[in-house]
Amino acid sequence: MKTNFPELLRILSHEKVQFIVVGGAAGIAHGSAMITYDLDIVYDRSNENIARIVTALSEYSPYLRGAPPGLPFDWSDRTVKNGLNFTLTTSLGAIDILGEIAGGGNYDELLPEAGEIELYGINCLCLNLEKLILTKRAAGRAKDFNAIAELEALLEERAKHSDSY
Amino acid sequence: MRRGYNGCVQEIQSLIPLDPVIEAYKKDIDRTLLRENLRLTVEQRFENLMSLQDFVEELRKAGRKLHEDKLS
Repeated sequence: MKTNFPELLRILSHEKVQFIVVGGAAGIAHGSAMITYDLDIVYDRSNENIARIVTALSEYSPYLRGAPPGLPFDWSDRTVKNGLNFTLTTSLGAIDILGEIAGGGNYDELLPEAGEIELYGINCLCLNLEKLILTKRAAGRAKDFNAIAELEALLEERAKHSDSY
Repeated sequence: MRRGYNGCVQEIQSLIPLDPVIEAYKKDIDRTLLRENLRLTVEQRFENLMSLQDFVEELRKAGRKLHEDKLS
Protein backbone atom coordinates (compact mmCIF):
# COMPACT_ATOMS: atom_id res chain seq x y z
CA MET A 1 0.00 0.00 0.00
CA LYS A 2 1.17 3.50 -0.82
CA THR A 3 2.01 5.63 2.20
CA ASN A 4 0.46 9.07 2.17
CA PHE A 5 3.39 10.98 3.67
CA PRO A 6 1.83 14.46 3.34
CA GLU A 7 -1.39 13.41 5.07
CA LEU A 8 0.41 11.55 7.87
CA LEU A 9 2.55 14.62 8.53
CA ARG A 10 -0.51 16.87 8.35
CA ILE A 11 -2.47 14.92 10.99
CA LEU A 12 0.53 14.75 13.34
CA SER A 13 1.18 18.45 12.91
CA HIS A 14 -2.52 19.29 13.33
CA GLU A 15 -2.51 17.61 16.76
CA LYS A 16 0.81 19.31 17.60
CA VAL A 17 2.57 15.98 18.12
CA GLN A 18 6.24 16.44 18.97
CA PHE A 19 8.23 14.12 16.75
CA ILE A 20 11.38 13.79 14.66
CA VAL A 21 11.38 12.14 11.23
CA VAL A 22 14.05 9.40 11.16
CA GLY A 23 14.84 6.30 9.08
CA GLY A 24 14.17 5.98 5.37
CA ALA A 25 11.91 9.03 5.16
CA ALA A 26 14.66 11.17 6.71
CA GLY A 27 17.00 9.67 4.10
CA ILE A 28 14.59 10.80 1.36
CA ALA A 29 14.51 14.30 2.83
CA HIS A 30 18.31 14.40 2.59
CA GLY A 31 18.33 13.17 -1.03
CA SER A 32 18.39 9.36 -0.84
CA ALA A 33 17.25 7.58 -4.01
CA MET A 34 16.09 4.49 -2.12
CA ILE A 35 12.43 3.63 -1.85
CA THR A 36 10.81 3.43 1.55
CA TYR A 37 7.29 2.39 2.43
CA ASP A 38 6.83 3.79 5.90
CA LEU A 39 7.17 6.97 7.90
CA ASP A 40 9.46 6.47 10.91
CA ILE A 41 9.17 8.98 13.71
CA VAL A 42 10.68 9.26 17.18
CA TYR A 43 8.10 10.79 19.51
CA ASP A 44 8.33 12.58 22.84
CA ARG A 45 7.14 10.17 25.57
CA SER A 46 5.44 12.80 27.76
CA ASN A 47 1.85 11.98 28.72
CA GLU A 48 0.57 15.01 26.81
CA ASN A 49 2.36 14.03 23.63
CA ILE A 50 1.24 10.41 23.86
CA ALA A 51 -2.35 11.66 24.13
CA ARG A 52 -1.80 13.82 21.02
CA ILE A 53 -0.35 10.96 18.98
CA VAL A 54 -3.19 8.64 19.98
CA THR A 55 -5.75 11.28 18.96
CA ALA A 56 -3.93 12.00 15.69
CA LEU A 57 -3.99 8.40 14.49
CA SER A 58 -7.20 7.11 16.07
CA GLU A 59 -9.41 7.93 13.06
CA TYR A 60 -7.09 6.07 10.69
CA SER A 61 -7.49 2.48 11.95
CA PRO A 62 -4.04 1.95 13.49
CA TYR A 63 -3.18 -1.73 13.80
CA LEU A 64 -0.01 -3.72 14.45
CA ARG A 65 1.73 -4.32 11.13
CA GLY A 66 2.16 -7.99 10.31
CA ALA A 67 -0.18 -9.16 13.09
CA PRO A 68 -3.03 -11.49 12.14
CA PRO A 69 -6.27 -9.59 11.58
CA GLY A 70 -8.80 -9.56 14.39
CA LEU A 71 -6.46 -9.34 17.38
CA PRO A 72 -7.83 -7.15 20.20
CA PHE A 73 -5.49 -4.21 19.65
CA ASP A 74 -6.52 -1.18 21.67
CA TRP A 75 -5.01 2.04 20.34
CA SER A 76 -5.00 4.13 23.49
CA ASP A 77 -2.78 6.24 25.75
CA ARG A 78 -2.41 3.21 28.01
CA THR A 79 -1.18 0.98 25.19
CA VAL A 80 1.40 3.55 24.06
CA LYS A 81 2.55 4.21 27.65
CA ASN A 82 2.97 0.47 28.26
CA GLY A 83 4.94 0.00 25.04
CA LEU A 84 7.72 1.93 23.37
CA ASN A 85 8.09 1.23 19.66
CA PHE A 86 5.07 0.46 17.46
CA THR A 87 5.11 -0.58 13.83
CA LEU A 88 1.64 0.24 12.58
CA THR A 89 -0.50 0.10 9.51
CA THR A 90 -3.10 2.83 9.11
CA SER A 91 -5.53 3.78 6.39
CA LEU A 92 -2.92 6.39 5.35
CA GLY A 93 -0.12 3.84 5.12
CA ALA A 94 2.61 2.44 7.33
CA ILE A 95 4.04 4.42 10.23
CA ASP A 96 6.60 3.42 12.85
CA ILE A 97 6.15 5.25 16.14
CA LEU A 98 9.44 4.93 18.00
CA GLY A 99 10.13 5.87 21.61
CA GLU A 100 13.85 5.46 20.97
CA ILE A 101 16.25 4.22 18.32
CA ALA A 102 19.59 2.41 18.45
CA GLY A 103 22.53 4.77 18.43
CA GLY A 104 20.32 7.80 18.92
CA GLY A 105 18.23 7.37 22.03
CA ASN A 106 14.95 9.10 22.71
CA TYR A 107 13.31 12.30 21.49
CA ASP A 108 15.17 14.60 23.90
CA GLU A 109 18.52 13.03 23.04
CA LEU A 110 17.87 13.37 19.30
CA LEU A 111 16.53 16.92 19.45
CA PRO A 112 19.96 18.63 19.19
CA GLU A 113 20.64 16.52 16.08
CA ALA A 114 17.41 17.47 14.31
CA GLY A 115 16.74 20.31 11.92
CA GLU A 116 13.49 21.85 10.74
CA ILE A 117 12.29 21.04 7.24
CA GLU A 118 9.23 22.37 5.45
CA LEU A 119 7.22 19.73 3.69
CA TYR A 120 3.81 20.32 2.10
CA GLY A 121 3.54 23.54 4.05
CA ILE A 122 4.22 21.77 7.34
CA ASN A 123 7.29 22.49 9.43
CA CYS A 124 8.63 19.35 11.05
CA LEU A 125 11.86 18.13 12.57
CA CYS A 126 14.10 15.74 10.66
CA LEU A 127 17.21 13.98 11.94
CA ASN A 128 20.36 15.42 10.40
CA LEU A 129 22.29 13.33 7.88
CA GLU A 130 25.32 12.71 10.10
CA LYS A 131 23.22 11.38 12.98
CA LEU A 132 21.04 9.36 10.61
CA ILE A 133 24.19 7.57 9.39
CA LEU A 134 25.34 6.94 12.96
CA THR A 135 21.96 5.49 13.98
CA LYS A 136 21.90 3.18 10.97
CA ARG A 137 25.46 2.10 11.73
CA ALA A 138 24.48 1.44 15.36
CA ALA A 139 21.55 -0.72 14.27
CA GLY A 140 24.17 -2.99 12.67
CA ARG A 141 21.77 -4.64 10.21
CA ALA A 142 23.32 -6.13 7.09
CA LYS A 143 20.31 -4.93 5.06
CA ASP A 144 21.29 -1.34 5.91
CA PHE A 145 24.84 -1.51 4.52
CA ASN A 146 23.79 -0.25 1.11
CA ALA A 147 21.65 2.50 2.63
CA ILE A 148 24.52 3.63 4.89
CA ALA A 149 26.88 3.69 1.91
CA GLU A 150 24.39 5.83 0.00
CA LEU A 151 23.90 8.26 2.91
CA GLU A 152 27.66 8.62 3.33
CA ALA A 153 27.99 9.23 -0.41
CA LEU A 154 25.32 11.94 -0.05
CA LEU A 155 27.34 13.57 2.70
CA GLU A 156 30.43 13.53 0.47
CA GLU A 157 28.47 14.89 -2.51
CA ARG A 158 27.13 17.73 -0.39
CA ALA A 159 30.67 18.58 0.73
CA LYS A 160 32.01 18.29 -2.83
CA HIS A 161 29.32 20.50 -4.34
CA SER A 162 28.57 22.76 -1.40
CA ASP A 163 28.24 25.71 -3.80
CA SER A 164 25.46 24.04 -5.76
CA TYR A 165 23.20 22.48 -3.08
CA MET B 1 37.50 31.20 5.22
CA ARG B 2 36.05 28.25 3.30
CA ARG B 3 37.21 24.79 4.31
CA GLY B 4 37.24 23.32 0.79
CA TYR B 5 36.43 19.71 -0.11
CA ASN B 6 39.36 18.13 1.78
CA GLY B 7 38.47 20.07 4.90
CA CYS B 8 34.86 18.92 4.65
CA VAL B 9 35.91 15.29 4.17
CA GLN B 10 38.20 15.47 7.22
CA GLU B 11 35.36 16.90 9.25
CA ILE B 12 33.01 14.12 8.07
CA GLN B 13 35.59 11.47 8.93
CA SER B 14 36.08 12.91 12.40
CA LEU B 15 32.33 12.49 12.98
CA ILE B 16 31.88 9.23 11.10
CA PRO B 17 34.98 7.03 11.04
CA LEU B 18 35.62 5.04 7.87
CA ASP B 19 34.21 1.53 7.83
CA PRO B 20 35.86 -0.73 5.21
CA VAL B 21 32.63 -2.68 4.64
CA ILE B 22 30.66 0.48 3.93
CA GLU B 23 33.50 1.79 1.74
CA ALA B 24 33.18 -1.39 -0.36
CA TYR B 25 29.43 -0.82 -0.77
CA LYS B 26 30.02 2.84 -1.64
CA LYS B 27 31.78 1.92 -4.87
CA ASP B 28 28.47 0.72 -6.34
CA ILE B 29 26.41 3.77 -5.41
CA ASP B 30 25.05 5.65 -8.41
CA ARG B 31 26.10 9.19 -7.51
CA THR B 32 24.41 10.69 -10.57
CA LEU B 33 21.04 9.88 -8.97
CA LEU B 34 22.14 11.50 -5.72
CA ARG B 35 23.30 14.65 -7.53
CA GLU B 36 19.93 14.85 -9.29
CA ASN B 37 18.13 14.47 -5.96
CA LEU B 38 20.25 17.11 -4.28
CA ARG B 39 19.06 19.62 -6.87
CA LEU B 40 15.42 18.99 -5.88
CA THR B 41 13.47 20.47 -3.00
CA VAL B 42 12.60 18.18 -0.08
CA GLU B 43 8.99 18.18 -1.27
CA GLN B 44 9.99 17.13 -4.80
CA ARG B 45 12.03 14.26 -3.31
CA PHE B 46 8.90 12.99 -1.51
CA GLU B 47 6.78 13.42 -4.66
CA ASN B 48 9.30 11.22 -6.50
CA LEU B 49 9.15 8.64 -3.73
CA MET B 50 5.36 8.44 -3.94
CA SER B 51 5.46 8.16 -7.75
CA LEU B 52 7.95 5.33 -7.31
CA GLN B 53 5.59 3.63 -4.84
CA ASP B 54 2.81 3.84 -7.46
CA PHE B 55 5.12 2.38 -10.09
CA VAL B 56 6.15 -0.51 -7.82
CA GLU B 57 2.49 -1.25 -7.13
CA GLU B 58 1.75 -1.34 -10.87
CA LEU B 59 4.71 -3.66 -11.45
CA ARG B 60 3.47 -5.99 -8.72
CA LYS B 61 -0.03 -6.05 -10.22
CA ALA B 62 1.42 -6.83 -13.65
CA GLY B 63 3.60 -9.58 -12.17
CA ARG B 64 0.63 -11.14 -10.37
CA LYS B 65 -1.44 -11.05 -13.57
CA LEU B 66 1.36 -12.68 -15.54
CA HIS B 67 1.60 -15.44 -12.94
CA GLU B 68 -2.18 -16.00 -12.94
CA ASP B 69 -2.30 -16.07 -16.76
CA LYS B 70 0.42 -18.73 -16.77
CA LEU B 71 -1.56 -20.87 -14.32
CA SER B 72 -4.87 -20.62 -16.23
